[in-house]
Amino acid sequence: MRALGQGSIASIVKVALTIAWWVLWAALAGVVLGAVAYGALHIMIGAGWVDASILTGGEGNVRVGGGGGDFHVTYDQPGGATWPVVAPALVIGAVMVIGALVIVGRLRRLFDSFTSGEPFRRENATHLRVIWITMLVMEVARYVLLAGVAGLFAAFGAPAGADADFSINIDLSTWLSIAVLVVLAEVFREGARMKEEQELTI
Amino acid sequence: MAIRVNLDRLLLERRMSLTELAAQVNVTLANLSILKTGKAKAIRFSTLNKLCRALECQPGELLAYEPSAADALEEAADQAAE
Repeated sequence: MRALGQGSIASIVKVALTIAWWVLWAALAGVVLGAVAYGALHIMIGAGWVDASILTGGEGNVRVGGGGGDFHVTYDQPGGATWPVVAPALVIGAVMVIGALVIVGRLRRLFDSFTSGEPFRRENATHLRVIWITMLVMEVARYVLLAGVAGLFAAFGAPAGADADFSINIDLSTWLSIAVLVVLAEVFREGARMKEEQELTI
Repeated sequence: MAIRVNLDRLLLERRMSLTELAAQVNVTLANLSILKTGKAKAIRFSTLNKLCRALECQPGELLAYEPSAADALEEAADQAAE
């Protein structure tokens, strides 16, 4: 099976990326709906329609942070839904989903070009550059958000049952991927330059 | 690029059209047009050979070196890259 062109591996990957693209849009809609629902819940609590204990009730076991380079806010039980926990969780969700949308969007355009059988185009180098910059922003955002949550907990107090783990985990595979993409972007730029030169050689 | 292609002048002197030259040297009209307008990045020795044969000229008559400000900038950029 061919790697590039119509009916190739690249065209199969392109279909998978299109599916991922729509799944990510659904995830973004979920994050937005979650934010709206949380806002609505606070309005209802403010109006006295809902008991405020819903935010802290139950045997809430909130875990912030985590190992292996991950950064999650998770709930083992109902409760622990106070804003210093939920707001960062929504921000983390939004950053990760939007970042993934940018990456998958650029990958779709890359694979469009691979499917057409012309990989060495200047815009492909730009797509790769945008991908590594997005990955870098997502990785740095992870650390910034972790520091932000620590700040929120310090300022407003950690919710009851919160198990905060603020240890910084350096994800080497992500940094290695970024380094590889930096090099690949320049390889594509050089390839595009050579192809242009070849096309303009008479 | 400080290299100028004098194809226009040579064709005029020989009362030959670009289409006739394209047919003689077996190079597409589009490619000869790229060469004539100075957009070409490089020329193969084989193409140069065919053009010189068809136009009965020396390579030096076809190509000329004319340094310009843009050329100086290009050279400076090359040196910086090294």
